[in-house]
Amino acid sequence: MRLGSIELTNFRNYETLSLDLAPTTTVVIGDNGTGKTNLVEGIAWLALGASFRGASDEAMVRVGQDKAFIRGEGVRQDRALQVEVELSRVGRNRVLVNRQRLQRVADLGDALQVTVFAPDDLKLVKGGPANRRILIDRALGSLAARNRATQQEVDRVLRQRNTLLKQAHGRRTAEIESTLDVWDQKLSTSGDALIASRVALIKRLAEPLTLAYDTLARGRSDVSMTYRASSHDLPLLAALAAVRDDDIRRGTTTVGPHRDEVALAIGSMPARTHASQGEQRSLALSLRLAIHRLLIETLGATPLLILDDVFSELDDHRARALLSEIPVGQVLMTTASSLPATAEPERVLSVAELVGEGAS
Amino acid sequence: MYAPPLQTLIDELGRMPGIGPKSAQRIAFHLLKIPSTDARRLADAIVVVKDRVSSCARCFNVCEGDLCEFCEDGRRDGSSVCVVEDVRDVVAVERTGEFRGLYHVLGGAISPIEGIGPDQLRVSELLERIEAESISEVILAMNPNIEGEATAMYLARLISPLGVSVTKIASGLPVGLQIAAPRFAEPLILVLAKLVQRANPIGWPAWADKY
Repeated sequence: MRLGSIELTNFRNYETLSLDLAPTTTVVIGDNGTGKTNLVEGIAWLALGASFRGASDEAMVRVGQDKAFIRGEGVRQDRALQVEVELSRVGRNRVLVNRQRLQRVADLGDALQVTVFAPDDLKLVKGGPANRRILIDRALGSLAARNRATQQEVDRVLRQRNTLLKQAHGRRTAEIESTLDVWDQKLSTSGDALIASRVALIKRLAEPLTLAYDTLARGRSDVSMTYRASSHDLPLLAALAAVRDDDIRRGTTTVGPHRDEVALAIGSMPARTHASQGEQRSLALSLRLAIHRLLIETLGATPLLILDDVFSELDDHRARALLSEIPVGQVLMTTASSLPATAEPERVLSVAELVGEGAS
Repeated sequence: MYAPPLQTLIDELGRMPGIGPKSAQRIAFHLLKIPSTDARRLADAIVVVKDRVSSCARCFNVCEGDLCEFCEDGRRDGSSVCVVEDVRDVVAVERTGEFRGLYHVLGGAISPIEGIGPDQLRVSELLERIEAESISEVILAMNPNIEGEATAMYLARLISPLGVSVTKIASGLPVGLQIAAPRFAEPLILVLAKLVQRANPIGWPAWADKY
């Protein structure tokens, strides 16, 4: 899979922007505040069907405009690939792949895959469990459409169950109990499936994660990733039954895949609280690298790799180690300053060139 | 602003489901153009529907009179009841020509988000019918979505202890479907997912399995 040209119209700060990606490494240089991350956000939208940094669709539309457009053209399995996205401030988004309208935006991931490394990734290690659940769930979603279907079902059932719990106002009537029984059953079926797939993915990531971390941190350390289910390894149905009193009192579902933790540790210490800033940064990069590798192996296609302003945060050794670890494929790097000498870009462009008359 | 009677018509049409302001305007201008006999016929049809069509006292299907055509038809098998969410589902099941029993229209599916619980549906009426009409078989024909499945599960738990046979309609891919048709993408994923779930919990292809 290779992406060629990208066009953004009324997207974020850009009136128009066009960019031609080289088959190997393209570098985009621009001062801070010129919108490098906005460009990354536009490209990543084509694969994720959402902002990679969790911003609303409305935020994608340039101030004073009603609609934003993103267009990407490339090649996938020797065939032309064209992805077009129209984002509306009000109303539904339109997504076309090779001029065919997609029913579900989430299915964009089947057409195009992108891995983004960003300075913000530190939150994968330092931030709350939701950051890590999203990381794992997105990877699962890229691996199989059925994982996306399971995730959507879990979300929907949870919304129904939580609404019912709120409506109960702490009362345990026969009707609420019997309806809860049904939602517990539905949540446990889809929830157990989601948990099983997360656990399986985490197991698969163990080896690539250790390899990546040892290269970046120069040495052998015992990094580990462990799934900690809020249901404490009980089947979800039993766990839900055990906390029902609590759930009714609090008006929300207190166990389930939405409350689970993906614990990261270096040695025997939790990375979130005990690792140094440098170790945390290496670990965050290693997580992205390990998932990127796994996607390449299992999808048989190499996702476009985007390194958004990543090198400014890394010391020289880590920067070079990261470059050496990147699998062969198409890469886009953005930077405000110079890159490590080993980056060897095929094409170097400035943000000013991409938006102004300077763009060819 | 149009003349008040016309504007009133546009506003009223605009309150219909699926009719936006533009469609409302188009229909209103069309009605202005047509002969008054045609307009009168439409108006009469609306009035007659409101006067004469009500819901069946037994199964809550739409009908003219007290009971619907199925409940009145002595040749139907009264011991077997097919439970559906909506009146339109009765027509869908009937079109298959496979079912010769009676119906029961619930009036929706359990969905707390929309404020619908068992009390908002005709569940107690169903239980009363099972008792009073000595029904021996209940077929649950809910929509195959999350809310429909939850409703079917709820009813099955309620009815099974009464010693009545309870079955759910099969969910899956219809015979003769085109797998490539986009609207089947979702059911296809679900059916295939059930087939491979246990063997392969994450979902990568077997050829990639080298660990």
